[in-house]
Amino acid sequence: MARMKFLCDADRCIECNACVTACKNEHEVPWGINRRRVVTINDGKPGERSISMACMHCTDAPCAAVCPVNCFYTTADGVVLHSKDLCIGCGYCFYACPFGAPQYPKVGNFGSRGKMDKCTYCAGGPEADGSKEEYEKYGANRLAEGKLPLCAEMCSTKSLLAGDGEIIAQIYKERVMKRGYGSGAWGWKTAYRETIES
Amino acid sequence: MLIKRTHQRSDRRGSVANTLASQTIGLDRRAFLRRSGLAGGALAALGTLPVSGVRKAEAAVAGPLTAGAAVKKSICTHCSVGCTVTAEVLNGVWIGQEPTWESPINRGSHCAKGASVRELVHSERRLRYPMKLVNGQWTRVSWDTAINEIGDKILEVREKSGPDSVYWLGSAKMTNEGSYLFRKLGAFWGTNNTDHQARICHSTTVTGVANTWGYGAMTNSYNDIRNAKTQMIMGGNPAEAHPVSLQHLLEGKELQKANFIVIDPRMTRTAAHATEFVRMRPGTDIPVLYGIMWHILQNGWEDKEFIKQRVYGFDDLRKEVEKWNPQEVERVTGIPGEQLKRVAKMFATEKPSTLIWAMGQTQKTVGTANVRASCILLLMTGNVGGQGMGANIFRGHDNVQGATDVGLDIVTLPFYYGLAEGAWKHWSRVWEVDYEFLKSRFDSKQIMETPGIPLTRWFEAVTLPKDQIAQKDNVRAVFVQGHASNSITRIPESLKGLKALDLLVIADPHPTTWASLAVEAGRKDGIYILPVATQFECKGSRVASNRSLQWGEQIVKPIFESKDDLEVIYLVARKLGFADQMFKKIKVENNLPEAEDVLREMNRGSWSTGYCGQSPERLKAHMKNQAKFDMLTMRAPKDDPEVGGDYYGLPWPCWGSPEVRHPGTPLLYNTNLAVMDGGGTFRPRFGIEREEKLPDGTTRKVSMLADKSYSKDSEIQDGYPEFTLASLKKLGWDSDLTEAEMATIMKVNPTTPDSVSWSLDLSGGIQRVALKHGCVPYGNGKARMNAFGLPDPIPVHREPIYTPRVDLVEKYPTLPDAKQFRMPNIGFSVQKAAVEKGIAKQFPLILSSGRLVEYEGGGEETRTNPWLAELQQDMFIEINPADAADRGVKDGGWVWVTGAENNSRARMKALVTERVGKGVAWMPFHFGGWLGGKDLRSAYPKGTDPIVLGESANTITTYGYDPATGMQEPKVTLCQIAAA
Amino acid sequence: MASFERIIRLAFSACALLLLVMAAPASAQQVNPTASAVKEQQLLQELNRIQGRVSIPDQRSGVLEQPQGREWREFRNVTLRWVGGIAILGMIAIIVIFYLTVGMVRLQAGRSGRTIVRFNMFERFVHWMTASCFIVLAISGLNITFGRPLLLPLIGFEAFSEWSQWAKYAHNYLSFPFTIGVVLIFLMWIGGNIPNKVDVDWARRGGGLIGHDHPPAYRFNAGQKMIYWIVVIGGGLVAITGYALMFPFYMTGIEAMQMAQIVHSIVAVLFVAAMIGHIYIGTIGMEGAFEAMGSGEVDVNWAREHHSLWLDEEKARTGPNDGRPQPATAAAE
Repeated sequence: MARMKFLCDADRCIECNACVTACKNEHEVPWGINRRRVVTINDGKPGERSISMACMHCTDAPCAAVCPVNCFYTTADGVVLHSKDLCIGCGYCFYACPFGAPQYPKVGNFGSRGKMDKCTYCAGGPEADGSKEEYEKYGANRLAEGKLPLCAEMCSTKSLLAGDGEIIAQIYKERVMKRGYGSGAWGWKTAYRETIES
Repeated sequence: MLIKRTHQRSDRRGSVANTLASQTIGLDRRAFLRRSGLAGGALAALGTLPVSGVRKAEAAVAGPLTAGAAVKKSICTHCSVGCTVTAEVLNGVWIGQEPTWESPINRGSHCAKGASVRELVHSERRLRYPMKLVNGQWTRVSWDTAINEIGDKILEVREKSGPDSVYWLGSAKMTNEGSYLFRKLGAFWGTNNTDHQARICHSTTVTGVANTWGYGAMTNSYNDIRNAKTQMIMGGNPAEAHPVSLQHLLEGKELQKANFIVIDPRMTRTAAHATEFVRMRPGTDIPVLYGIMWHILQNGWEDKEFIKQRVYGFDDLRKEVEKWNPQEVERVTGIPGEQLKRVAKMFATEKPSTLIWAMGQTQKTVGTANVRASCILLLMTGNVGGQGMGANIFRGHDNVQGATDVGLDIVTLPFYYGLAEGAWKHWSRVWEVDYEFLKSRFDSKQIMETPGIPLTRWFEAVTLPKDQIAQKDNVRAVFVQGHASNSITRIPESLKGLKALDLLVIADPHPTTWASLAVEAGRKDGIYILPVATQFECKGSRVASNRSLQWGEQIVKPIFESKDDLEVIYLVARKLGFADQMFKKIKVENNLPEAEDVLREMNRGSWSTGYCGQSPERLKAHMKNQAKFDMLTMRAPKDDPEVGGDYYGLPWPCWGSPEVRHPGTPLLYNTNLAVMDGGGTFRPRFGIEREEKLPDGTTRKVSMLADKSYSKDSEIQDGYPEFTLASLKKLGWDSDLTEAEMATIMKVNPTTPDSVSWSLDLSGGIQRVALKHGCVPYGNGKARMNAFGLPDPIPVHREPIYTPRVDLVEKYPTLPDAKQFRMPNIGFSVQKAAVEKGIAKQFPLILSSGRLVEYEGGGEETRTNPWLAELQQDMFIEINPADAADRGVKDGGWVWVTGAENNSRARMKALVTERVGKGVAWMPFHFGGWLGGKDLRSAYPKGTDPIVLGESANTITTYGYDPATGMQEPKVTLCQIAAA
Repeated sequence: MASFERIIRLAFSACALLLLVMAAPASAQQVNPTASAVKEQQLLQELNRIQGRVSIPDQRSGVLEQPQGREWREFRNVTLRWVGGIAILGMIAIIVIFYLTVGMVRLQAGRSGRTIVRFNMFERFVHWMTASCFIVLAISGLNITFGRPLLLPLIGFEAFSEWSQWAKYAHNYLSFPFTIGVVLIFLMWIGGNIPNKVDVDWARRGGGLIGHDHPPAYRFNAGQKMIYWIVVIGGGLVAITGYALMFPFYMTGIEAMQMAQIVHSIVAVLFVAAMIGHIYIGTIGMEGAFEAMGSGEVDVNWAREHHSLWLDEEKARTGPNDGRPQPATAAAE
């Protein structure tokens, strides 16, 4: 079985935000919920790099560990998903997440959190694959259709890679070998406890 | 934008976005789908969504999400890269977007804009029906009423003031067919006052580059940049303006281990990936380029063979370059000599090298000279006409290259034929109308052959005293179809024009700032808004920056009461009474001219530019067979039955009739290939030889034809002039012409058929015969370093009108005042006054402007798209930390920006960043809907206001027009910033 | 938690970065941005977080990576459960042992049959409002920490989620009356709860819990004062940290929210443990004590045994004018 991961090649990322709007488009993500975002480090200074970040679908995911109602689960592809039926919107996963992935719609009074929303790796949720219910709660399920997440598929410079961890690591390694530089697989050490040797 | 937490809450009140955020809770469309799925009938009660939204909702929940959806392909409407958009359509509703892996251009990719185009079509804030302003209120009217009233008013203006008093402002957003018909509308109406975005985008490129080597377009392609060993980007930020092009640039950089040089006043997102970043003072492009050339000549790095064979005027140039020693260059540009030497060495010796530019070079009073200097650098190093080389000029809009080609312009008829009598006669033959009829439409033959007024000056054409405008009367009516007003400089001045107009017609999917600013200017009536479909609701061809034509399908039918551009043009022409003449050879069904038929008419007349081979059938075959084209060469395998041997999109020139099956020209002027394989030579457009004055007072004649350089397999192995019947006869090739071809030639010019040239021969015979002998129809000439005829034949540095370096103005003044394009250009007086008044002390910061990746152009369309608007919610100005500290300006805090003219001021947020150097400020130009701190949201027709509004950069920009094209100057002016 | 060390490190590297930034413009002109790219591990080592610029107003999203969530996770899943478990179970164990060995503290003199008002209606209302809120908050709060290992396996996912959702609502909404209660308690009883010399003696004598000693006390003895201050300080802390969590990012960033959660939960479990003790003494731990908050009137003998100085004060205040008959045996000690 594949172990799905994301890898953002920061030496390619140009902060074009295609990943962000592709995500919005594919899942009709409402205003204020940012399942994916691009962060620019050292903005305007030499060495500036932009990195596209969403849920990294961590190994031994911290969100799942701290969830008081145990609403997370990991699919056979290594995708970390959650059930919005079970989620109580407590915000704990946000405290634990190293990548700021969980998002909460503001519902009701005093800005309290609604049910958590996050990147699904375009793999929907616990409902039947491709069902109406699944789409309504989590958005499209591309993985079930044999497609990869749209953010990576539409990435303008092929910076954001999605797919089996070993394959995308290999692609990245080859790139780094060929061009002779690489600022690393951002977030991999934190998410997967591994780095790509290059 | 980074907002400090302490500022955040108080700032929120100022932002639109927060109010919107609360609204959108009710508009969670995924939830909406669920509700609608449960209770379809109760939908109307929600009221917030349009009919289309309802349809979409029902469709989307109809079954497994995309099952049964039709797949349609069109072209992204946001920049010139030409990304294919693949749409999934179910029950007439666009339900999803998929990556287009098979497109050799974007290979599945998009940028933020391309990945969100679906929203443009189903936007809830689009115009739904025609409206007019009655007593200051936007009132719904029917299409019939609107067209009738508009037509009557226009005819009344014509009656009183002549046809030139109506200004037809078209769009680079239209398809080729739309732009072409819009130009044709102007011609049949009887004016050359027809313009579009290219004026403020690459008009200087078109003029400067065409004057150098023949055609004013990108010589190579985005894909071909992969072959370059040195990529130099000067005056462009493709990472934000053409993001998908970076796929080719960055992969090329990696695979070739290429030098990636970025010369820019800003450390842009592109510069972040540079191997060499050179920060220059805005407005000093020519000194920078000459500084590079100085080192090249000093070290003998120039390509002597290339210059000898293919370049004219090198000695004249050398004299100018010698003035620019490293000390003077550093004094003027701020760049140390060592760095430029390094750049020069890379560019001249690590070849092939390409020079990439965009608005950074063009949007200047010296824009034409800037791009000329760029071309000269390429010529000097022999970097034109081969793989990985060339002037890779990144155009702005999806079809700005096409709209330029089809002549939606003030200086030419379609396909660069110009405005001379011969050109009019050519087109009257193509259109099969009487030349005399066309002439009768104009005020005079003289005005018929005089370039019109550039769109940059439209408001002055309204407000200046009548005697200062070289036409019968002032402009009194403006018909805008698809052009923003906030992308034109000097907004405070334009308000006067908006007020004074008799009639303003805005045909667009959105009301645009034309509407809000006109209301703000005090208009109570005399404005009509016509809802026009987005390009995804129209079919037709679009030309990417690399000259490839791509056919876009209609993805969905026009939404609401919107109409296709072509239909609007037809309705207007019909009302004005010349539709039967104008559409004589074009099929019109239900008032909608057929796009394919329009293209066929273009094919029949576009010999000069090689638009003659791209029949609709061939273009459609290309879209169908996209996957067969190689990503690097863009060529399909020779054995393919439908597109065999073609280059993707048949990049023009695609010579001869479609039957000749010319494959298109992926790289211009490439002598390494046979013409029938896409090869070419420089175009001898400026005479065959030239008399030059020598220092001793004598003269000599110098050939303008190539010297022993020719394209592969050419039977003429030297330079040669353009082909005419006479030259065919001289070569003995006239016998290759068929009888039918000969008959057509005779018909073109019955009196002197010998003078019929390759570009006027409607049979295509002369082209076919030239190709048969391996020759380029337009001839084989030299490129001009000395472009005699232009205001500065050899580019000369001239300080911007508003420069902080007043000490340099005396040595490098702008050109003297003159009359150009029917208007006075008083740049010199303005510059002089600015220096005398000490403007630079009052406004010490250089203000430049540019693009954001999320928005495009005037931005109304993209600021209406919530997926994009969320990413950039506030207008801002970038300011260096040192300048910010001096002024007590905080990152994310509000500031007042004041400009050097009209007491202009604008309120926006500060973005304190080292992207800009000290003394430089930068603004994005996409915002609009605020003016001088006032929110104009209420001036928009209800429900059509963009989500994000903000101050326009052009509220602050100032006077300055390129003498050769009328280009405005939004890239260099002065401003002051103070904390608000 | 290595938080202090982290803060030091943060401050240090911020300075280093500042120096770096200040040095940058001088060399900005001649740079190779490709070669000088920022590296993830280097940034993480410097600051233990990676932060940059985003264009959206949601500034928390500018934090690209903050691995310290890992430490928080360790706290929440391990440390807190141990601390909470030991505190609460330990308190219960002590009480049980105490009850079994000592039993209820009886009124030595028996009931006099005469009562004195100890807490008026308003005071009792405030107490019970706060107390009932506290119980719900405690249960719903403990559910967040202990529900998953203890309750979820018993009732299953759906039921547990449903219950937890309501528990969350209750926790959020009841925090308001609870906070008001804490504030009122603070204001209402501050006068009687300033520690003084009597408390020292009282404490030295172990509050008289063991044996039949009756150290003198004013209205509130040292033990009660301790409870008072636990409620005021503990309540204040949970309230402040709770609101920081309930209104995410209104006042703090993510680290501070993690810190707030840590403080909130630790204080809360200790608070719960303390309140279990309080409840014990107020109910089955001591004869006559519940009446103080029940009817509001306590037996005079109870008052004499536990709050002799207060009784004297009350008498002095109301004494001669008291309409009720003076007890014959009443003798001032």
